[in-house]
Amino acid sequence: MSALLSARGLTRHFGGINAVEAVDLDLAPGIITALVGPNGAGKTTLFNLITGHLAADAGVVELFGQRITGHAPHRIARMGLARSFQDLRLFARMSVRDNVLAATEPVSWFWQPGGARAARERAARGAQALERTGLAPLARAEAADLAYAERKFLSLARILASGARIWLLDEPASGLDPASRARFTTLLRAAVADGVTICLIEHNLDIVIELADRIVFLDQGRKLAEGPPESILGDPRLAAIYFGERA
Amino acid sequence: MTAYLLNLAQLAAIFGLLSVSLNILIGYGGIFSVAHAVFFGLGAYAGAHVALDLFPDLLLAALASAVIAGVLSAALALPALRVRGEYFVIASLGLQMLATTVFTEAQAITGGLGGLVGIPPPTLFGFTLAGPLVFLFCCLAFLALALALVRQLMRGSFGRALMALRDSETAAEALGKNVALIKTLAVVLGTAFAGIAGALFAFQEEFVNVESFTLDQSVLILAMVIIGGAGTLSGPLIGTLLLLLLPAALTFIPFIPPTDIGAVQQLIYGLAMTLLMIFRPAGLAGRAMGRR
Amino acid sequence: MLILQLLVSGIETGALYALTAAGFALIFGATRIFHFAHGATYALAGYAFVLATRLGWAWPAGVLLALVVAIAFGLLLEAAVYRPIQRHHGAFFTVFVAAFGVVIVVQSLIELSFGRAYIAISSPLTRAHEVLPGLYVARVFWLALATAGVIFAVLGGFLARTRAGIGLRALAENPDLLRAFGLSARRLSALAFALGSALAVPGAVLGAMTTGLSPGVGAHVMLISLAASVMGGIGSLRGAALAGLLLGIVENLVVAGLDTQWSEAAGFVALFAFILFRPRGIFGAALVR
Repeated sequence: MSALLSARGLTRHFGGINAVEAVDLDLAPGIITALVGPNGAGKTTLFNLITGHLAADAGVVELFGQRITGHAPHRIARMGLARSFQDLRLFARMSVRDNVLAATEPVSWFWQPGGARAARERAARGAQALERTGLAPLARAEAADLAYAERKFLSLARILASGARIWLLDEPASGLDPASRARFTTLLRAAVADGVTICLIEHNLDIVIELADRIVFLDQGRKLAEGPPESILGDPRLAAIYFGERA
Repeated sequence: MTAYLLNLAQLAAIFGLLSVSLNILIGYGGIFSVAHAVFFGLGAYAGAHVALDLFPDLLLAALASAVIAGVLSAALALPALRVRGEYFVIASLGLQMLATTVFTEAQAITGGLGGLVGIPPPTLFGFTLAGPLVFLFCCLAFLALALALVRQLMRGSFGRALMALRDSETAAEALGKNVALIKTLAVVLGTAFAGIAGALFAFQEEFVNVESFTLDQSVLILAMVIIGGAGTLSGPLIGTLLLLLLPAALTFIPFIPPTDIGAVQQLIYGLAMTLLMIFRPAGLAGRAMGRR
Repeated sequence: MLILQLLVSGIETGALYALTAAGFALIFGATRIFHFAHGATYALAGYAFVLATRLGWAWPAGVLLALVVAIAFGLLLEAAVYRPIQRHHGAFFTVFVAAFGVVIVVQSLIELSFGRAYIAISSPLTRAHEVLPGLYVARVFWLALATAGVIFAVLGGFLARTRAGIGLRALAENPDLLRAFGLSARRLSALAFALGSALAVPGAVLGAMTTGLSPGVGAHVMLISLAASVMGGIGSLRGAALAGLLLGIVENLVVAGLDTQWSEAAGFVALFAFILFRPRGIFGAALVR
């Protein structure tokens, strides 16, 4: 199956540090890919390179067959690539409902095209995202007032509402209690069943085992290994690197 | 007495328009400009010239002022797009100081320190608006228009996009918002309305000069927005009323010598700004702290 | 010869700007607080010196008073204004507006106490001597240079070698390091404000003798310090000092070719250009958006 998102040779240096070094990544539809690796391995940087938030020193990214390297982040996002942040970056002073509605409105102008009918569709999409993440009762609350788990779900609700087909999630479930985590993984699985492609950065190996169809292992900016969970998680060499037993 | 009150009311409407327009930038957009008086001035000079050189039609002057202020706001929009909050404030500060010098030196256009005098009363569709009451209604009409527009826009997708980029620019980008375009639109909108306020001011005072468009003025408008409550609809209006009525109220207090009123006035709103930021940063119309 | 004369006064002004700008940069570099009221510190120090002179005190007592006032003011703001705001997750905006409010309060208080007119202290130091044909230099010029030189040398040594100094540099970049060394972030923050505010005193005192003071001087000095810090590179004391010196020189040289009005504007044109094209300044680290 051809990849929806395809990155080749992505490289980025900061001063003397190779944050990301010649990384290839393919995201195929209907598959959840987990990006793992010790701290500082370059996972978030890789996301930033793909979404256009950071300029690559070398390498090419293709989305749905089109080259997107060097494009502005908002253009890439409008093509159907959504991304969450480790520190969430919610619109703190806006309501939960407005946070989600903002995700449904792609055009940067004084108004959206399509008139009242399109507006109703967008509102419906927003409401649905709130329903599925269990945030409907909090629709009018200010995002800054939410509890931790609710904030995580709001971050996901925004992405759900955006209608994006490819999701890059940066530690989306970290710190969640077991019940919330179960709800979260169910949601992600349902999205994939709907045709969404997900790549997530995750430190919690339980979540990785539960969700990942494929694992990509990064260390010090390089891709060390890639494959099904059993082979990656069972590899003692990788385990040693992951748990920091390097010399 | 009536003439004095009508005059005050006209100023209230004009400054209300100024604070509502600055609120678009500061309150909703997080674009912290201390150069708003520059666009007030540009509008005033433009309106004055239309009145003096063409014909003193109110709508024509307002249109010219809006266009000139809006177009020249690129000077503000450019740094807004390039650098983040703190540096932008400094850039706008620099712009304000620069503009004061330009306004003073460009004798041909601005009349230099003497300013432009003898601005005739405005006309509307051919009728001269001689009475202060009629003019007050016109000012209020523009204010109402601005308020309605702001309310409509901020409740809709533009408001959400603007506030999104205020709260988190990177997340807004990640959701497809063209940050540069939205910021520019907000700046153009805000400065255009400031320009219109300038045109009204020119007719109201019947003369314009640089003294009204300095950093002090920008700070006054800023104080109105902040004290009233940035990012709310009623905040700027509350702030305007408070800060305009303050000097008027002070003149009635017997033991303040008239030469000192200006300083006492400044003292009070400086104090108000600082205390509010410590105890109630959302302003009078905003949310109280401690609800988190 | 006029150019040389202007250069001399430019260096004199610049040296004093450099000190004040370094004070602002020190505070920002260590605490990440945009101490916009630093100009008010300058004004208060200057007027305190004027007050002491009017009361008949000898100049060392006057300088001491100025120092006490400046440091007390800086510490007061840190404790009563900036820290409470930061405790409540204050945005930059909130800090800025609060500082702005303080500046306005100080300016109006000065105006109510001393009036709006320019005040200058006359002193034998300001009498100019002809050093070269057509070139007049007053003793205060050498004093300004010497003061700036000594203070920068001492400051440099302090920041590089003493524990407190290194602590100040670590405060902004690596707060965890502080705990390892047993240094308190709160006390270091207070130290930064005290030291930074003290740096405004030489400029204020010498300024009172040369260019004179007015209630608005605080705002003017603040803008210069801000401009110098931005152009020199936020976080770089050296940069702020250098840029302050340059701004003083430019301000004076411009008078040779253009109207006095433009001399102040020249600084802002430079500032605006820097923000548009090189926001990191000359020595600063790249900005992270």
